[in-house]
Amino acid sequence: MSLCCIIVEDLQVAANYLIKCCEKSNLVEVKGHFTNVPDALSFVNEHTVDLIFLDVEMPGPSGFELLDQMAFLPKIILTTSKKEYAYDAYEYKVTDFLKKPFSYERFLEAVQKAQSATEFPATGAVASDHIYIKSEGKLIRLANESILYIESMGDYVKFVTADKKYITHNTIKNLEDRVDKATFLKVHRSYIINLHKIEDMRENCLFIQGVEIPVSKAYKSMVISRLNIL
Amino acid sequence: MTHPFANNTYVFNEHINVQYISELYSGDYGIIEETYSDVLAEYPSLLENIDTSFATRNLDGLKRAVHKIKPLFGFTGLTAIQSQCLDFERACEADPSFDSILPLFSILHESFVRAQAIIAEEKARLSIFNSR
Repeated sequence: MSLCCIIVEDLQVAANYLIKCCEKSNLVEVKGHFTNVPDALSFVNEHTVDLIFLDVEMPGPSGFELLDQMAFLPKIILTTSKKEYAYDAYEYKVTDFLKKPFSYERFLEAVQKAQSATEFPATGAVASDHIYIKSEGKLIRLANESILYIESMGDYVKFVTADKKYITHNTIKNLEDRVDKATFLKVHRSYIINLHKIEDMRENCLFIQGVEIPVSKAYKSMVISRLNIL
Repeated sequence: MTHPFANNTYVFNEHINVQYISELYSGDYGIIEETYSDVLAEYPSLLENIDTSFATRNLDGLKRAVHKIKPLFGFTGLTAIQSQCLDFERACEADPSFDSILPLFSILHESFVRAQAIIAEEKARLSIFNSR
């Protein structure tokens, strides 16, 4: 899974070099480049990102002040020309610390660290009766019982509840193993549904609150086996 | 004198740290040329910040402006000037008075002017090399 990132860096040369590294790697998609903390903060409050390449010294607030103001921290890779910030980097638990300028190999090493940390989150990130999702710049707690279904949108997924939809950067494939299997079931490559919310099921689809959800042939028998059919 | 493109390899200006730049870009001359071009585009504004801070005797601003331009010398392999910048920053911290750093700044500023010319010349030569 490629990571979506932003670059917060006021030195254009360094930002351009980072963009080239990201493009070359095919591991990171750059969603934006910001030259100051307030602009970056506005973006992360509205969008979900997996990773921030963050300079420390910029005009106005520093990179660390951005971290202080964020409700939820994605993976952070600090990019700075001062190794004196290494201690602060450790305190903020950043994923890696790149001293500018850095080689492409060193960049790859840092990205792979971020990727591993994203794919294998700390134990306890998912509880049995609820799930936390990153959306709208914060962590949102969704009770399993409130989720009707989860729909794929390419590199994003949509969590649909009775009164709201939440879009977050993830994939059905990744979620399949992480949601509570007693409640959720994958019924199609693009859908995971809440088994307790099925209203009716027909030949190749089922309905949840009036919404038609396709059921693949490959998953149909599994769905039927999970229904309490009299 | 060795021909600049002898044996199909590029021969850098003598002031450029070839080993450093080879490791940084893994011999990708396309990226090196693009980066030199980016450096040249950003260089004047960063140098202007330095000159403005100097003209207004703003030592803290001068230190920050030198810190800001420093990575450009890393990106272009001018590692000796990168070290000069670091020495200047340390001198500012050790003795934070404007007059005491004047001799060091004078030498550093000469290096900045010389570096701009080297980078421009290198960018032009890289452009020819890459378009062969």
